[in-house]
Amino acid sequence: MRIISSFLCPVLCVSLAAVAADEKPGVIPEKLAGLFAAQGKDGKPTITPEQRTYFDGLNDRLKALLIKTVEAEVITRPEHLGTILALGLRPQKMEILLQDNCILCHTDPEVQKPETLLTLSPAPGKTPSHLNLQDFVDDVHFLRGLSCAGCHGGDPGSDKLEHSFVKEWPSAGRDKDRGWILSFCARCHSDSTFMNRFNPALPTDQLAKYKDSPHGKFLLEARDARAPDCLSCHGVHGIRSAKNPLSKVYRKRVPETCGACHSDAKRMAGLTLSDGSPMPTNQLAEYRASVHGRALLERGDLGAPACNNCHGNHAAMPTGLSSVSQSCSLCHAGNASLFDGSKHKQAFEEHKWPQCAKCHGNHVIAKTHDSMLAAGQESLCNKCHQQYAKDNPECNATATYFYTSLAQMDQVWNEFGVTADRLAMKGLDVDPIHDKLNELADSLKQARSHIHSFSKNDFQRAADPGEKAVLGISRLVEEAKAEYRFRQLGLVTTIALMGLVMLALYVKLRRLER
Amino acid sequence: MSDSGHGQGWLGWLDRRYQITPLIEFLRHKEVPKGPHSMVWYYLGGMTMFFFLVQVVTGVLLLMYYQPGEATAYESIRYLTTKVPFGWLMRSVHCWSAHLMIISLVTHMFSTMMLKAYRPPRELTWVTGYILFALTLGFGFSGYLLPWNKLAFFATSVGTDLVKSVPLIGNWLLQVLRGGPDVTANTLYRFFALHVVILPLAFVSLIGVHLLFVQRQGMAPPLGAKVAPRGMRFFPSFALRDLLLWLVCFMVLLVLAVFVPYGPGIPGMDWELGQKADPLAPAFPGIKPEWYFLWEYQLLKEFPPHLFGLEGPQLCLLVVSLLLGIWAIIPWLDRQAQREQPSPGFSDFGWGAILFLTFLTLKAWDIGAMEPATSGSSLKVISRTCAWWTIGAGAVIIGIRWLLQSSRQSSPPSASR
Amino acid sequence: MPENTSNQKSTRRSFLDLVLGASSVACLGSILYPVIRYLKPLPRAGGVGPTRLTPEELAKLEKEHFVIVPVSGKRVLILQNAAQEILAVDAKCTHEGCTVQYLPGESVIWCACHNARFDLDGRVLSGPPPRPLPKYAAERQEDGGILIVAERRQSE
Repeated sequence: MRIISSFLCPVLCVSLAAVAADEKPGVIPEKLAGLFAAQGKDGKPTITPEQRTYFDGLNDRLKALLIKTVEAEVITRPEHLGTILALGLRPQKMEILLQDNCILCHTDPEVQKPETLLTLSPAPGKTPSHLNLQDFVDDVHFLRGLSCAGCHGGDPGSDKLEHSFVKEWPSAGRDKDRGWILSFCARCHSDSTFMNRFNPALPTDQLAKYKDSPHGKFLLEARDARAPDCLSCHGVHGIRSAKNPLSKVYRKRVPETCGACHSDAKRMAGLTLSDGSPMPTNQLAEYRASVHGRALLERGDLGAPACNNCHGNHAAMPTGLSSVSQSCSLCHAGNASLFDGSKHKQAFEEHKWPQCAKCHGNHVIAKTHDSMLAAGQESLCNKCHQQYAKDNPECNATATYFYTSLAQMDQVWNEFGVTADRLAMKGLDVDPIHDKLNELADSLKQARSHIHSFSKNDFQRAADPGEKAVLGISRLVEEAKAEYRFRQLGLVTTIALMGLVMLALYVKLRRLER
Repeated sequence: MSDSGHGQGWLGWLDRRYQITPLIEFLRHKEVPKGPHSMVWYYLGGMTMFFFLVQVVTGVLLLMYYQPGEATAYESIRYLTTKVPFGWLMRSVHCWSAHLMIISLVTHMFSTMMLKAYRPPRELTWVTGYILFALTLGFGFSGYLLPWNKLAFFATSVGTDLVKSVPLIGNWLLQVLRGGPDVTANTLYRFFALHVVILPLAFVSLIGVHLLFVQRQGMAPPLGAKVAPRGMRFFPSFALRDLLLWLVCFMVLLVLAVFVPYGPGIPGMDWELGQKADPLAPAFPGIKPEWYFLWEYQLLKEFPPHLFGLEGPQLCLLVVSLLLGIWAIIPWLDRQAQREQPSPGFSDFGWGAILFLTFLTLKAWDIGAMEPATSGSSLKVISRTCAWWTIGAGAVIIGIRWLLQSSRQSSPPSASR
Repeated sequence: MPENTSNQKSTRRSFLDLVLGASSVACLGSILYPVIRYLKPLPRAGGVGPTRLTPEELAKLEKEHFVIVPVSGKRVLILQNAAQEILAVDAKCTHEGCTVQYLPGESVIWCACHNARFDLDGRVLSGPPPRPLPKYAAERQEDGGILIVAERRQSE
């Protein structure tokens, strides 16, 4: 007993001393405990269980930082603490936030007015759109420690309200003439020495490119307030990486970002294209209906192009560039190289026509179909050739030849597809037929692509395997039908023999019973 | 040298070694009871056995090419049905025979029930038959998974999920059945063992016992007589008629196998091979088990999630176990039949069971991909209408019978149905 | 006359027995014929096992360095790279389903539809495809034939 007590005593003393120590983790100081215990008007604690769980899960350093802000009376109200905890930030971000007095002050609902309060739940009509707190903590600059002070100036560690903010901004007229924003962002983003510290892969030529574009000339030369600057596309506070689906320049959102201005008739009023015609505002609508728009926006295919993939982003449509048709060849390489080797290339260059867009359109690129070659209403070939190539009657013949070959193969493909399904229903082996149908489909695709060579020989070389496949499929279908007839014959024979046996049995039975 | 008859020929040869004369005499005098009711019902047991024999033969043949395993089950069936000569026929016959066996088994069960063949001394014949019914459903369930296609995979997932609701051992049972918490290749191996070894052994033993009972006691005479007043000789009359019926069944089976190789295509009766199972893909809506399980599937849907303090599936399982338990011990419950008297109450219970199962099955066909029946599919409309007509007609019939019954209370009950 | 009728009866009976016997044998034959044909294994590689390339497919492989082969409902691209190794990937592009081809000069698998490029292991090098091409295991046999064994999972 004495041994036990003599052992226990020192242990007890040491633990008591440890408990008395100030920085013991697990012990919540009074002010913070008071905030946790505070109750709202409905009698329930303001700090929700999830927020409390988040706090409990923080590491020691972050807990200490939070306690320090509470002790320093930067956070004095439970709603304020709740907002900070509700963000559920990962440790790196929480560390930055807890040391940034700008955000800590501006999230306090008691001190700030709706026009200056950063909040997760904006009040409609009162809170400006750029004060969404979630945007702030998602911003790429915030993560790198370049939050409010980086653009607005000042010292985030200071708790004094200084007026050194926005010292680097123009003092007057900065909303009307926004050219200063470009050089403001560029002081970092055009400095490769600086940017290499953070992301060596990021380009630093955005401003140079922008200056060459109509956007740049509109802003910097015409000094028009409608012109876009960096913030128009990238946002002001929640600037996210272009790979982040919430970013305004994420591929799927690029059409709506560009369309915010370019579909607005009022905004575009009075503006013209380089040839003097008025600037259209239907591009977004046309794009949405096109194959590219539907692939990107409806099917979520990130391989489909958005506005910037053809027009460029910072150097959007440099003046002097008459056509972006060449950019089609980035994906449609096959068709482009066939076209380059064809008779049309020279003719199009002479007439200064855009290469692909002349037949396929630019924004409203619709799904192609074989009737574009035919002689009917939808024919593309006839319209041009009547006007420009009247001495080459073989052209029409070639177009018609293309059309009939394709239409035939297409029809066979459809018909035999249905036949194969019917045969499969009957229990026959249609794998070889499906394989040949795949070959036919491949050949159809190739043949349609080879139209761009505008040469009968070239087209024929691509269509030949298809025609062979057609013969192969017919043979296989006949074989399958013959197999089915064999099965029916076998069945009938067996049934007949069984019938005979049954008849004999029946007569035998009658005999035996007599 | 034995002193019995049949001294010549192969029968004599056997007799001298194994004394088969009593057996021959027994077979010679074996009779099938004849009474006021139709003799059609006596053929059903044999018909069921015929389909089972077809299953055994085609099953063994399929076993020559089938390979269980995640990478080989689907492919081997595909190979079997496309490349192997007459492989399509073997599979098609096997699938059709399964369904026909169950139809004939259920008809056999209900006919023996209605004719009170279960009354003493044939109680154990009923019980063994009941177990055979359960084993047959087990065959159907285990065999369904073996092609390892999408439909089978999801149907098995849904089907095995039910055993979770068994109290106390539910989770254990689930893991034992599935070979793990989810349906995987392990499930396939277990189901294969079940379908090809365990169930056949059990089934064959029980059929042996069932047939032994029938041979020892003879087939049940009509109600009101412990022994049949007259009978039809088994050899050759009944046997040849039986053989004729088997030939007809075989013909029907072959015609179906050739002309409808993948089943009629109605939900629950469609065994087109389709695509290989992908455990990672989400289940597609409208999965249904095979038609002979549809009643259970629908019944589960009828129960609310919680009732009387139990979870829906647990309560459903309890109710079904209760009903099945009653069904098993009917020979001991039916006092009137024990006294060779008609027991219309039990007949009505039987009719009620038929209507109940028919209604649930028809209603289950109505359910598609979680859409309401207003989506316009004509099959749904038909099945829904049929379900309600079944209930309606059943209610009318039972009502009229009760009225007639109560009006006949004064007169003594007739000796036969 | 009783003798005649009994004779007639026995001839009729034996005729009936003959018919019964003969038709039973014939019927049994027509039922056993499919079973016997079913039991004999096929000459080309068994069931689910590996798919063997036909001589025409082998010739095409030699000439053009790649061939597309049907394997239980799918299409597989077999190619022979510069180091004479045999590689196999699924022939269906993961973007829009066009059939890919092997470009021996550039040592790359190319899809003509939208200019997608895959390396010889099926990984996407450029272009719109969202996923790599599933791989297959193919081996050269001693007799010069090529066997496609199975679809390999990406983790292997």
